[in-house]
Amino acid sequence: MTLSKDHIGGLVFLALSATYGYYAGHIALLPGDEFEPFHAQSLPNALAILGALLSIVLLLTANRSPGSTLSLTGYDFRLVTQLLVLVVAFALALDWVGFFIATIFFLIGGYWLLGERRIKTLLVASVPFAGGIWFVLTQLLDIYLAPGQLFTHLFGG
Amino acid sequence: MLDGIITGLTTAVMPFNLLMVVVGCFAGTFIGMLPGLGPISAVALMIPITYGLDPSSGIILMAGVYYGAVFGGSTSSILINAPGCASTVVTSFDGYPLAQQKQAGKALALAAYSSFTGGTIGAIVLLFAAPALASVSLSFQSSDYFALMILGLTAVAAFSGKGQVIKALIMTVFGLMIATIGTDVTSGTTRFTFGNVNLIDGISFLLLAMATFALAEVVMTVLKGQHREKEEAMDMSQLGSMKLSKEEILHVAPTIGRSSIFGFLVGVLPGAGATIASFLAYGLERNLASAKEKLKFGKGALRGLAAPESANNAASTGSFVPLLTLGIPGSGTTAIMLGALIAYGIQPGPRLFIDNPDVFWSVIISMYFGNLVLLILNLPLIPYISRLLAIPRPILIPLILFFSITGVYLVSFNSFDIHMMALITAIAIFLKLLEFPMAPMLLGFILGGLMENNLSRALTISDGSFAFLWERPLTLGIVSVALIVLIIPPLIELLRRSKTKEPLPRGPETSISEGEG
Repeated sequence: MTLSKDHIGGLVFLALSATYGYYAGHIALLPGDEFEPFHAQSLPNALAILGALLSIVLLLTANRSPGSTLSLTGYDFRLVTQLLVLVVAFALALDWVGFFIATIFFLIGGYWLLGERRIKTLLVASVPFAGGIWFVLTQLLDIYLAPGQLFTHLFGG
Repeated sequence: MLDGIITGLTTAVMPFNLLMVVVGCFAGTFIGMLPGLGPISAVALMIPITYGLDPSSGIILMAGVYYGAVFGGSTSSILINAPGCASTVVTSFDGYPLAQQKQAGKALALAAYSSFTGGTIGAIVLLFAAPALASVSLSFQSSDYFALMILGLTAVAAFSGKGQVIKALIMTVFGLMIATIGTDVTSGTTRFTFGNVNLIDGISFLLLAMATFALAEVVMTVLKGQHREKEEAMDMSQLGSMKLSKEEILHVAPTIGRSSIFGFLVGVLPGAGATIASFLAYGLERNLASAKEKLKFGKGALRGLAAPESANNAASTGSFVPLLTLGIPGSGTTAIMLGALIAYGIQPGPRLFIDNPDVFWSVIISMYFGNLVLLILNLPLIPYISRLLAIPRPILIPLILFFSITGVYLVSFNSFDIHMMALITAIAIFLKLLEFPMAPMLLGFILGGLMENNLSRALTISDGSFAFLWERPLTLGIVSVALIVLIIPPLIELLRRSKTKEPLPRGPETSISEGEG
């Protein structure tokens, strides 16, 4: 039996519904809540059952035609993973080096990953842009942007 | 009503709000022209900006972006046969052949006039339909609201295209599951936070919308390697005249009138949107055409271009009816606007036009201004706006990513949100590869909290009995419609299958729930 997209989706959601239902049973209830018609566990329990039922229906009615299998060829997963890692790194950099430097780092990294190699373009399309955005946010819109923990540690808060 | 219209007019003509309409239309046109990014992504990208504005200006900006994006999508459909969103796919059927015949200017002008008329007729009908429906819905109780939300959620799933109904329903349930993360408002206990303080407030709507639409759409283009493709140059010297002759106007006028009313009606249906409206209007017009004219469809027929263009704009307007009057979005884009309104502390629904008449009426009136701006300003400026597309993709994509991420960060100032965005984007990409639609999830997420509150209230009032679903005629009526909407599409498919004895091929990927809205 070939595993089609619908089968994979159905199995994933069945597992998700089961896990969700398991943790729904662990939601703390207030004393006496169990006698109430509706409490914090009611909707999660209903959703877990509904999710499981729908997943089973999807598994049973799954499209089995030859074109319905998941084909991963022709996709650039490596580049997408690198981009998502860059996004996570941007979040870490925001905390440590502040908005301005993190933005420059993120933009140059993004341009580089997508194939831009000219140093001049990398700098021209990032530094003035980051400076402009930083100026608009801090000077025009009066939004406080934390300087970054690294600078706070080095130079004091 | 007259008082309301005057209030709306006063708010809408405020210089700042007029500026918002203009800015929204321009930004929307630009984003809409980028293949892959449709109205949903365009509106999602605007949310962080609107947080700094007052509710009327914010919603006016988003409505402008919505129109602009639909118009931008039409422009790239006509000029380079690359529809920016699903609702303008039909536009390319006759628009692109016209451009190939060196009549791109005429096609663009006709698209703009049709959109303008469609939008205007839609706005006028909305002016009368919305308050009437809102006054009826004032008598709604929590059980009716619960039933209405069930209807909204099932309708979106039902209109998701052949073979997609179960997947759309699963995504709706997934959205409802995500909505339960955080503190339960009725009891105050935390759910599914796993001891993480960042999850106590739940996952923000903005984060989810940006990650699943703005970020995931852009990352999908990278995944497919589209960032390496060079944008086809738009040769502006080949535009030709933008004028339509009197005969041509008379030829398409009845089409525009018909398609506008038809599009509006389709747009009002919760779940149906501009894509379905444009496809249906095109089909209707082809059926109405004479045998000789039918042959021209697909080869540059003016009626074939006018019909979907007027219908998709009228449907965009129509989708505001359930949003403004019942608090139930008629499409993916209005779902995002619903989330934004809730974030402002405004509860869309029948009380909106009593509690916030300025928001209610100014949105309706600014829709008309939006159409006017598209016609007067955007049309002549198309050659210049399209030059922005010349920015190389390796530069443009990181910038869009940056705006999506910082849009979320600048609201919460919590870098945990960016980590969550990366995670949700990865999940969204996986689900997109498995052909799961995203809009039902967002709708489930937005309506989840409201639905739980109304269900809790209705059950408490009826002492734990579900009898409220059939004891109140109005609730029963709405629940019945929801059931019919849900049961009919699979039944039709089953009947077809039994007739042909073969499994049917899947519906188009660009289903309503995905591409537009």
